[in-house]
This record gives sequence, structure tokens and C-alpha cells, in this order.
Amino acid sequence: MTAGPSRGRRYVMLLLLLCGFSIILFRLVTLQVLQAAELTAKADRQHQKTVSFEGARGMVSDRHGKVLAMNVEVPSVFGVPTSLESPSTVARHLSPVLQIRSDELERKLRQDKSFVWLARKVEPEQGRRLEQLSLDGIGVVMEGRRFYPKGPLLAHVLGFSGMDGQGLEGLERLYDSHLHGEKRVTVLQRDALGRTVFPKGVAEQAPTSGHALTLTVDEVIQYIAEKELEEAVTHSRAKSGTIIVMEPQSGAILAMAVSPRFDPNVVAALTPDRWRNRTLTDTYEPGSTMKAMIAAAALEEKVMTPGSMVFGENGQMVIANTTIHDHDKLGWMTFSEVIQKSSNIGAAKIGMALGEQRLYRYLQAFGFGQRTEIDLPGEVSGLLKAPKNWGRRSLASISMGQEVGVTPLQMMSAVATLANKGVMMKPYVVSEVRDHKGRLLKEVRPQVKRRVVSPETARTMTTMLEGVVTNGTGTKAAIPGFRVAGKTGTAQKIDSRTGAYSSTQFVGSFVGYVPAESPRLAMIVVLDEPQGEAWGGVVAAPVFRRVGEQALNYLGVSREDTVKIALAMKDH
Amino acid sequence: MKTVTIVAGVLLVFVFVWERVDVVRLGYQIERLKTQKILLERERDQLQVKFSALTAPERIAKVATEKLGLVPPQQGQVLMVHLPGEAPGLTLPSVKLIRLAKHDSTGRENE
Repeated sequence: MTAGPSRGRRYVMLLLLLCGFSIILFRLVTLQVLQAAELTAKADRQHQKTVSFEGARGMVSDRHGKVLAMNVEVPSVFGVPTSLESPSTVARHLSPVLQIRSDELERKLRQDKSFVWLARKVEPEQGRRLEQLSLDGIGVVMEGRRFYPKGPLLAHVLGFSGMDGQGLEGLERLYDSHLHGEKRVTVLQRDALGRTVFPKGVAEQAPTSGHALTLTVDEVIQYIAEKELEEAVTHSRAKSGTIIVMEPQSGAILAMAVSPRFDPNVVAALTPDRWRNRTLTDTYEPGSTMKAMIAAAALEEKVMTPGSMVFGENGQMVIANTTIHDHDKLGWMTFSEVIQKSSNIGAAKIGMALGEQRLYRYLQAFGFGQRTEIDLPGEVSGLLKAPKNWGRRSLASISMGQEVGVTPLQMMSAVATLANKGVMMKPYVVSEVRDHKGRLLKEVRPQVKRRVVSPETARTMTTMLEGVVTNGTGTKAAIPGFRVAGKTGTAQKIDSRTGAYSSTQFVGSFVGYVPAESPRLAMIVVLDEPQGEAWGGVVAAPVFRRVGEQALNYLGVSREDTVKIALAMKDH
Repeated sequence: MKTVTIVAGVLLVFVFVWERVDVVRLGYQIERLKTQKILLERERDQLQVKFSALTAPERIAKVATEKLGLVPPQQGQVLMVHLPGEAPGLTLPSVKLIRLAKHDSTGRENE
């Protein structure tokens, strides 16, 4: 009798237990099998934090390791509008710290977004003050900001990078693939309080910085060039100006100055016109500086010798129904005097003696009408028409530096060829690329482009160009104690309204090298539209002297009279 | 024997727990040091930028002329004399470089 109900209870208990276990089993299968993937992902989201890191942009320094551009981490401020109770109060607190109007901040904070940038890459002090405020819904993250500690120095060469660290202009753009840092996503584990514990899996490493560039530029020579150029542009009221200083034996650029200058730390309000590197993007008709190349070609082809006589036609000569003028009524003169006195008629006659094909061949060999292939962006090839497109006057015009468009860099490169015994070198500005550990990745060695004229021709040209500075149009370029070789140039610009040569707009230039016997520096100075006296020998030659003298002094190059002084000391 | 096994087992559990706790502790320590490293690197970079800005030739020239009243050497005031060997035939004392200023008749050694 007693067994019935007790057995019944046992069955009931068993059934209940079975039901209970079935429910647990069902839940287990649901959690562990059916929802496994989804739940694991959810747990990972709660326990792990994925952080994206970007390595710092590589540093740029001059030939002596002086920093010209580098990255520093600075605070960026963001807001989470959806979590704000009173955007207007928060905006009022933020406004004095960020130096942004309160209503502007409020407008951003009222947007229906979960994330808005309020101010990016602000000063570290502003970040510290914001942390002290500790406002809910406002956060600070660190981002790399590009600094150019020397301000406008070398800005046209360095260029600049954008807000997100991408190179936009100059070397920053051309070498962007080297300079930008590595991007890496790292998974961190978080504890119950949200603190980061340690990385999961592979050991966490900071992403590597971008590669560092070492330039051939010397910041002191660059400063001298920029200072003197600014002064000359202001003094002559020129529209703009450029200076390039180069080592003729290697092609290494020591300085590349453009006026007006700009500060790459503050480019937001500037137009491209301001940051264009005019030394290689702008062409001009070189005028008389071209005569040096015409003369070299004539010497090389043995069409002329320094003593050959040329008649100056008393300052006027008619070619193709047009009259070519000289500044003076020149009569008979030697070939050297043609260059010394910068006679247009003499140069035209030399060009005609060479003939179209030979002249064109030499101009090409001197690099006109083609890029120098310098490692800077934006270089143009200039204008050198093929002889088949020349007019009846072209041969004479080109010989005196008209009907051709050259960049200051092309002219610099051509004259540096004469300084380098007739061998043309490829100009360059980056000498080394190193990785974040300082290991050398790329070393740029001086690169010979071609031999243009023989060493004898180059030597004779040097003597002739010295004559320009001692007795000719370039006397204001003379540097006491040094032998200077160079050529002046004054070219009329084309008037855009009339299409004819302007009588008021000129380009004054001087290009040369020093010391003439063993050149350490080749330099070009170009001033665009100087007012008043626009002669290259008046406006550009003195700039050459001032930059040359200071640069030689800085480099410790001995003056010619050194030996005399040394001998005097010996006698004592 | 049984007691020894139990004690050993408890010890093992303790060692295991201690190890886990220590791993977490070291994890926090590593994180703290990393943060410290980042802050120091940031400070180093900021100082380097400041140093570069302060040593810019433009600023040095400004301080030299406006604050210290210095003037750039004029033509002929600085002469570089490289001796010996560079001037052929000269056998002068082994002074590598002598810098002569206009008003400095004694000369000054400069290595």
C-alpha cells in the first residue's frame, strides 16, 4: 500500500529533474553551440579594446643634422554629442580654452552624431587645461602634428603635410612613402573597470616611425641666401626672387631660396601661388646669361677663339626686318669682349657662326628644354623649340637669350657645368634616407649626367667669365680676395596685354661661381620685375657678392691673399 | 601519504593562483611604464622642437644683433689662413688655422 504513492512521488521527482536538466541542457546547447559565435564576439568586444596607432612622420634635417621638420604628439579634442545633457554649458566652458566661439562649438555639439572633432592638434597646454576641466562627453586624443621649427626657412623645398599627416607639397609630398609612419591596429585586453591589462597574442610594439631624410642643404647658407634675397626683393621692389646655391662638383643643392617666403606651420590661409617653388616651376627668358653657353659652344666647335674679332655694327644690326640693339655703340671687339660687354649683336653673330643645328644641340646638351630631374616635385622642362619651328630671327634671338624659356635651376645647372670642367651633374637635395633605427636605406651619390664641353673650353670660359666681373657688366659681383666668374642677364618680359616685349618689366639675373680657379659655390640670383634700375649687374650681382662672401667665410674658404699674409707672418 | 598529496595539491593551486595574479600585476606595471615612456618621448620631442626653433640661424642673428649689439664682420675683417701644407713651400709653426680679425693683430688659434 505504501509503495504506490512513494513510487508515484519518485516518478514525479524524476520527471521534474529530467525536465530541469533538459532545460539546462537546452540552454547550454543554445549558449555554447547555437549562439557561440555571437556571444564570443560580444565578450571580446567587452574585454578587448582595438586601438589604431600610427607611427610618427619621419624627421627632415639639413646636411649637419639640424632639424628642419619633425612630428610631435599634441592633443586633439572631440565631443560625443549624444551623451551631452547641456551642450550650451559645455560649449561655454570649452570656448576660452580652445579659443573658439561658444556658439560655433554649441552648433557642433548639438549635431545628432556620436562623435565630432572640436579642435584638432591644439597646443599641449590647452590639452592639460581641458583634462583639468574633465567635462563629460568631451575627450582628448593625442595626434602627431608636423612642426617646422625654423619657420619659413627652406619652406619652398620642404613643402608641408596635411592635417592627417599626408605630404601635400615639396619634399613632404615627393618622399611621402618614406616619411609617413607605419599604421598598426593592436588588440588590448580590458579588465572589469575598463583598464587596459596587456596585449593579447603577439607582444605589442609601438608602430615604427617613418624614414628620416637628410638633405644636402646647409641651413646657414640657406639662411644667408633667404636673408639677402628678402632684402634685395624689398629694396628693388621686385615681384619675386630666387637664389640657388650649388656645389658644382656634386650637384648637391646647398641653398634654394624663394621670395616671398611662407611659414609651413601656417598654410591654411595661403594660396598655391605662395608656396610654389619658383626655382623649378617658373620659366623666364634668360637674356644675356645664355651668352655664356653660346660662347662655350662656339669655343668647343672651334668656331671662335678668345682672340677672334667680332664687329659690333656700332650698336645696331638688322636681321629679318627687325633691328637688334646693343646698349652701347660697339665697334670691333674680341670674342672675350663680346661676353664681357654682353653684346647682343656679337652674341647673334656667334650664334649665326654656329648655325641652327649645332646651337640647338649644345643648348640641349646644357639641359635646356628638359627637366634637370632634381628630386623635387613640380619641375617644368622650360621651352626650347626645335630648329624646324624657328623663325628667321630665332637663331639671333636665342643666342642672346630670347625665344627660350628656362627655369633658374636649369640655368644654374648649365653654368655649374662650366664650373665643373665641362661635366654636368644631376642636381639633388636628399642625400640620405634612414629608417627609424638610423640604418641607412638609401644614399644618394653625385651623379654625372654627361660631358658637355671639354675641360679646356670650360677653363677658357672661366677666364672669359672672370673678365665679366673684373671689367665687364658684373663688377658688382666681385668678392674681395676671391676670383669670381659669372654672367649678368637682363631680359625684357613679354607684356601679356600686347604680346610684345615690355619696356618696363624685366628679369634681372646673375649666375656664376667662386673661387673661379677651384669653385666651391655656383650660384644664381634672379629678380622678377625689379623697379627702377633693373639691370642684372645692378640688382642681382650685388646679391651674389653678399651671399658668396658670407657663405665662403662660413665655409672657411681661403682668400686669394692668404699666401701673402702667410708669407708676411713667416717673415715676422 | 594522503596528507602529503593534499598539501602538495593545495600548494600547486596556490602557486597557480599566485602566478596568475602576478601576471596581471606585471601587466599593469608594463602598461604604466609604457605610458611613462610615451610621455617622456613626447616631452623629448617637444624639447627637440623648442631647441631647433631656438637655434634657428634667423633667431641667433636677431639676438646677436638686437640684444648683444654684435655686427656681421665687414669686408676684409675675417681672413682664413690654412697652414701648413696648403700653401706650398711654407714651413710655419704647426698651427692649422689662424683667424685674423682687423683689430686683432695677435691672431687667434682656432682648431
